[in-house]
Amino acid sequence: MSAVDLSRSEAGTWRASARAWWRTGDALPFLLLAPSVLLILAVIAYPMLTGFWYGFTDGSLLKYGRFVGLDNYVELITSRDFRHALWFSLVFAVFNVVGCYALGLGLALLLNQDVPGRPFFRVALLLPWIVPSIVSIVSWRWMMADERALFNQVIGLFGGSPVYFLSDQTWAVVMVIAIKIWRSFPFMMLSLLAALQSIDRSLYEAASLDGASRWNQFRFVTMPQLRNISIVLALLMTIWTVNDFDTPWLLTQGGPANATENLVLLAYRYTFGRNDVGLGSATSFVTLIILMILVVFLLRRQKER
Amino acid sequence: MKTSGNAPARGRAGLLASLAAALAIGLSPVAAYAADPVKLNFWDMIWGPPEYIDAAKELVAEFNKENPGIQVEYRSIPWNNWYQTYVTAISAGTAPDLSTGAGYQAVQLYDLGAIRPIDDLIEEMKTSGDLDDFLPGTVDTLRYDDHYVALPWGIDIRVWFYRKDMLDAAGLKVPTTWAELREAAKATTKDGKFGILASGDTGGSHFLYNAILNNGGGLFTEDRKLDLKSERNVEAFEALAGMVADGSVSPASTGYNSDDRRGAFNRGQGAFTLDGPGLISQAGDAADKIGVVPPLAGPHGDKGTIFWVNNIMVYEQTKHPEEVKTFLKWWSKNQTPLWTKGNTGQLPTRKSIAANDYFKQQASRGYVLENYVPIGKTTATHAAGIFPALNEVEGEGVMQTFAQELWQGKPLDQILDTADSRLKSIVKE
Amino acid sequence: MAYPNPTPAQRWTRFGILSVIVLVVNLPIILMVMNSFQTTDQLMQRSSLLPHDLTTANYSYLSERTNFWRYLWNSVVASTGSTITSAAAAALAGYALSRFRGRFVTTYSRTLFIVQMFPIILALIPLFILFRTLGLINSPLSVIILYTVVHLPFATWMARSFFDTIPRELEEAALVDGCSRFGAFLRIVLPLSGPGLAAIAIFSFLFSYNEFFVANVFLRDENAMTLPVGITMFMQQYSTDWGSLMAAATLTVVPTFILFLGIQKYITYGAVSGGVKG
Repeated sequence: MSAVDLSRSEAGTWRASARAWWRTGDALPFLLLAPSVLLILAVIAYPMLTGFWYGFTDGSLLKYGRFVGLDNYVELITSRDFRHALWFSLVFAVFNVVGCYALGLGLALLLNQDVPGRPFFRVALLLPWIVPSIVSIVSWRWMMADERALFNQVIGLFGGSPVYFLSDQTWAVVMVIAIKIWRSFPFMMLSLLAALQSIDRSLYEAASLDGASRWNQFRFVTMPQLRNISIVLALLMTIWTVNDFDTPWLLTQGGPANATENLVLLAYRYTFGRNDVGLGSATSFVTLIILMILVVFLLRRQKER
Repeated sequence: MKTSGNAPARGRAGLLASLAAALAIGLSPVAAYAADPVKLNFWDMIWGPPEYIDAAKELVAEFNKENPGIQVEYRSIPWNNWYQTYVTAISAGTAPDLSTGAGYQAVQLYDLGAIRPIDDLIEEMKTSGDLDDFLPGTVDTLRYDDHYVALPWGIDIRVWFYRKDMLDAAGLKVPTTWAELREAAKATTKDGKFGILASGDTGGSHFLYNAILNNGGGLFTEDRKLDLKSERNVEAFEALAGMVADGSVSPASTGYNSDDRRGAFNRGQGAFTLDGPGLISQAGDAADKIGVVPPLAGPHGDKGTIFWVNNIMVYEQTKHPEEVKTFLKWWSKNQTPLWTKGNTGQLPTRKSIAANDYFKQQASRGYVLENYVPIGKTTATHAAGIFPALNEVEGEGVMQTFAQELWQGKPLDQILDTADSRLKSIVKE
Repeated sequence: MAYPNPTPAQRWTRFGILSVIVLVVNLPIILMVMNSFQTTDQLMQRSSLLPHDLTTANYSYLSERTNFWRYLWNSVVASTGSTITSAAAAALAGYALSRFRGRFVTTYSRTLFIVQMFPIILALIPLFILFRTLGLINSPLSVIILYTVVHLPFATWMARSFFDTIPRELEEAALVDGCSRFGAFLRIVLPLSGPGLAAIAIFSFLFSYNEFFVANVFLRDENAMTLPVGITMFMQQYSTDWGSLMAAATLTVVPTFILFLGIQKYITYGAVSGGVKG
């Protein structure tokens, strides 16, 4: 008797508190986030846990591996390929972030001014970003393949001797970065343009009343206003560059002599080329950890102000 | 190599496959109609120009008409990421019933427990005498672990091609030895053109295989140990490095992929290149300016080149092994249109197909069939048969990197050491 | 405008500079379009820099002999699907991040960074097995789900920063009038969010429409392929059908280009500035 009463009253209070939770709106954030959380659990959390486990086994794509402890991580960190891929990932990220930011900012400043045909330019400059990578990079390869390709014809016009862009380690690195900048700057331009347009005009009016030159207006009004979004953009672009597979893969497949192999390509080579899922997963995890450190660092900078 | 101490575990993949099968039988109401024709999935790589797919589809339709009890579904698989395609399909239990595949796919997938050997079919063909129709060596190349893991259908091979116009202009005869090739390459390197066009992709590594096999060398010893630095191999690599040092190899080679290299060759930017027998028929207007170099003699008089026996394999996941066998037998016998209509770049493995007029009209293919195929060797040389590590050796791209650095003109002993230690770490020696 | 009243000369100088930049920057794309009017043989001969003997043969071949329209349709289905789901999920989550505080919300916000950084290669094999058991291989649903998640962090940040610009006072007034909080979101905030949602949708659409790596794994059947994967069907073992490839590439870009021209004024709402917070 009493047991039944007890459970009924418990159920009653549970329902009542649930109703209260719902009515006060405290439940709302949970409900709003529920669809995203479910998706993330299925698509990210589950593979992440299995991948984490694979990193400690010697499995191949079809065979369950045995537990091998930290062997994969030790093999990875002591390998020359890894150190080189880490170095290239870093160079790739730094040059691309700086390059596409500078280009994007310059064009955003230009487009922020009164120009005839501005809407057209705004979209025309987005094209490198709109075109699928597999398409644009094929076109780039055509322009630099050998002595008869467009770039070398232009160099020839000025009397230079042909440059073999994809055969030389240094040039290949330069071209991979250049093409990545080319593919990334429109996003920077777009975001910075949006930020420029939201700057309060009265700030500029006040500055010109104080007799500030254009350069000083840029330095002391525009740049501080752009600081926050710039850090955010650098952060996003760093993540995207470190995780970029398309650009180096489609242009050079990581060559020549592995010069343009970043950590993602290395993970891909280990997993699908060498059929070593353990080593591939370990590579991916190390990449993730390095990215986390970078992001925490950049977020700190964002908060200092 | 993965430790072979583990039993050829079918582990998770097998479990999932049976789980999926159980689910399919339990849930599918369609399974109740026993009279429905058996459905087979046949995955075929794209072995030639667009008309190849049409020819293959037509052939499958013909089979379906002749065999109302079996319905084969044809699907063409792009080369791009093909390995990933198969491995993910197998691990998810959606492998086809049978597929074609390049050189070592069958052994490697067999080693993972995904391939059903065709010993019974080979036995049948032996009894009926059909097996004698295959060119010598082709069937046995696909023997691994005492089983026949696949049935040969096509031969892929690398041969040297030359530009008739460039050799004529330089007043040169077609080379017959490696020494003459080197001389001719040097003589044709002028006016912004080069003697040799190579590439830095998989096709680039074929230059290396060709050179060592031509010189009686090989990647492996008879007991499957790595043997990259053998005397004959080093001699062959030195021959290539010598041509690079002469300046005869186009500096664009490292960055070329095979498509670029072929394009440059067809445009006459270089005098020699190494490619598959289909090159001339794909060369468009340049076709009549291109010839096949006869098998070259190495410094010790050896001849040889790299070849692969491409094949058709049956998957362990199939539920209809008998029907698969019926189709496989039929396909193997009736595949002539893949050449006559489909223009595949492969060479046939059957004498009866090789005797077709097509190979008399396509003189270069006929020539290769007659003169190069008999001296073809696999990358497994000097070990017998093929084995799974071969796929990893090719897939990992060590030889590709080796080729890139060789064309760059880096010191041979240095890049040889790097390649050797990297290969050893792959095969875990 | 930051600097008012430019002279006509200044305006047209800028016009000239921008025109040159647009030409140089888009050179690879211009070449691609020009090459699409050349046969593969002409392209391989590459006798002159500028194309001659223009032909539309590639386009008729593409339309009649290949699966191009099928690929395009698949692309449209996959991109539209993932755009809708990702905009919906991001709008809800972005609103939560914009208006609520608490441990759950903070944890979620941090998780978004991990999602953004997650190397997708790690997810391929486990997800393939999961999707297989759900029967989603070769179904647009597989890529729709994946694109939604991969794009979720960015879309959420955009949504959050947009909601941050909508004054809270509006909702507070509605609450006083007896509206529930969710009701306030539906009736007051969402109707004001058109431009923000449009910007999210553009970014989502573009991302899904161009994605190659994931689609290449999950859509292997020719009838299921999206455009970027379908384009690789023109690359055969020994030769690439350059003519068809260039034509397909050109046609691939047309829909997104038109889309951008049509709704470009919304793109500027694509600021993520305030939305990315730890």
